[in-house]
Amino acid sequence: MTSLILSPSEQDFITRGVEKGFRADGRGSLDRREVTLRTNMISQANGSARCRIGHLGLGTDVLVGIKAEVNTWTPGEPESLGSIVCNVECSPSAAQEFEGRGAEDLNVELTQTLDRMFNGPQSGIDMAKLCIIPKQAYWVLHVDALVLDVKGGIVDALVWATRAALLSTKLPRVVVESIADEDGNLQSEFDVVDDAEDQVAIEGVENLPLSVTFNQIGKRFVIDASEQEEAVTQASLTVAVSPQLEICAVQKGGFLRGFPPSLLSEIMQTARRVARDEFAKFKELYETAA
Amino acid sequence: MSRQELLSPEGLRVDGRRANELRRILCRASVLNTADGSAYYEQGNTKVLVAVFGPREPRARGQLQHDQAIINVEFNIAPFSTSERRKRSKGDKRLLEIASFVRQTFEGAIQRSVYARSQIDIYFHLLQHDGGTLETCINAATLALVDAGISMDDYVCACTAGFIDETPVLDLNSVEESSIETPDLTVAVLPRSGNIALLQMESKLHSTKLDSVMELAIEGCKHIHKKLDDAVLAAANDLAEKLSH
Repeated sequence: MTSLILSPSEQDFITRGVEKGFRADGRGSLDRREVTLRTNMISQANGSARCRIGHLGLGTDVLVGIKAEVNTWTPGEPESLGSIVCNVECSPSAAQEFEGRGAEDLNVELTQTLDRMFNGPQSGIDMAKLCIIPKQAYWVLHVDALVLDVKGGIVDALVWATRAALLSTKLPRVVVESIADEDGNLQSEFDVVDDAEDQVAIEGVENLPLSVTFNQIGKRFVIDASEQEEAVTQASLTVAVSPQLEICAVQKGGFLRGFPPSLLSEIMQTARRVARDEFAKFKELYETAA
Repeated sequence: MSRQELLSPEGLRVDGRRANELRRILCRASVLNTADGSAYYEQGNTKVLVAVFGPREPRARGQLQHDQAIINVEFNIAPFSTSERRKRSKGDKRLLEIASFVRQTFEGAIQRSVYARSQIDIYFHLLQHDGGTLETCINAATLALVDAGISMDDYVCACTAGFIDETPVLDLNSVEESSIETPDLTVAVLPRSGNIALLQMESKLHSTKLDSVMELAIEGCKHIHKKLDDAVLAAANDLAEKLSH
């Protein structure tokens, strides 16, 4: 996504290396770089996480903050569902082109990608439980991602950080009461409990997906491409997989050409296999992240 | 919001501080790897992350100056930084104003003629907002610029001060800042010469009171200078240790 100029020999080196099964930094084609995860560093947000993918701290760096707000229902909206609104912003500290309005296109693309994965039942979250009173009030979770550094594999870093942030999110408890008004009709009223100790987690967060991005280089594909590998990528496919190993979302990235369909089914199978290991790794990192 | 006492009869403020107490400061240099210099600065609950790039090729060659460097500042507030989530557009006047103030302040402190024909970029990210945005940004930027190895005449240390119930108070938080009756003065000084790099005030303050409030703010700046110096030494010692192995 960011422009990195490689000489033809470098491109050739990377491409032929991948085809023979080795990568510039010595990883296997299905190995991810080192991931660091930290949660709950923003005290004012309901949940937060920072994810870094890369060796020795030099890599893609994403910070995600979750803010929960109560929205009033308006006609036209789903009557008994909450919602998740994603927003991604790339910082100029990641690349000089992102200054001013330079990152707008990329921001929109990443926002839509996250939205596709997380906003709705495919994310595994029980959206009905986010509704407070049908046709009256519901929780909206604002997922705000800040991309501090990009060194390849931005979507995966975003998804890891978002998953960690949502897992760490605590919502204030809401008490719903039915009160009879003058006409004898039952009106529902809700009250948000203002107690920092009395908070609940979001229902269904354990089902949130993780994503794996496959980049096709030459005739083979690799996972978690570095900046140089992305520069020689012909096509990329991001697959979001749930902990139940179901495919939640698929997105093909830009680049030069399309995937042959035979490679596509191979990628889907590999995605599910890789995801199993990724979830285990995520669990391990998340437990030590707070 | 009900009108709460900003200064109790015992002399305690809303967060338990006395009138002349600074909030707790936590700062660290070199927190981002790709940036030439970076710093993370916390003053109370206000947290800011700053990245410095430069000197490098100016982005717009037409703006290149033959005898000095261009300082470019971009300031972003994270939507989750305030207690009520709010997304600000890139052209928000308040953001542009703060960026402009920081730029002007550092134009006077950075030795720009050393880096002719180049650009120095300072990018801020306000991660949590609790008053004193401009002061924390300036302090954080000083630390990041030192981390980047950019020549400066001196540290730039900033502090806010106000006036509540006939008492000058130091380092306002957001509750005190948002109160309409409290004047809010931000001062940035260059500690060695004592010169003022930035002076900005909002609301009304009687001219006879100005001296005492400014004096208090400058005292605060001296204290902050010490904190920044400690952070620079810590980062340098850290580097020296790594290099000696």
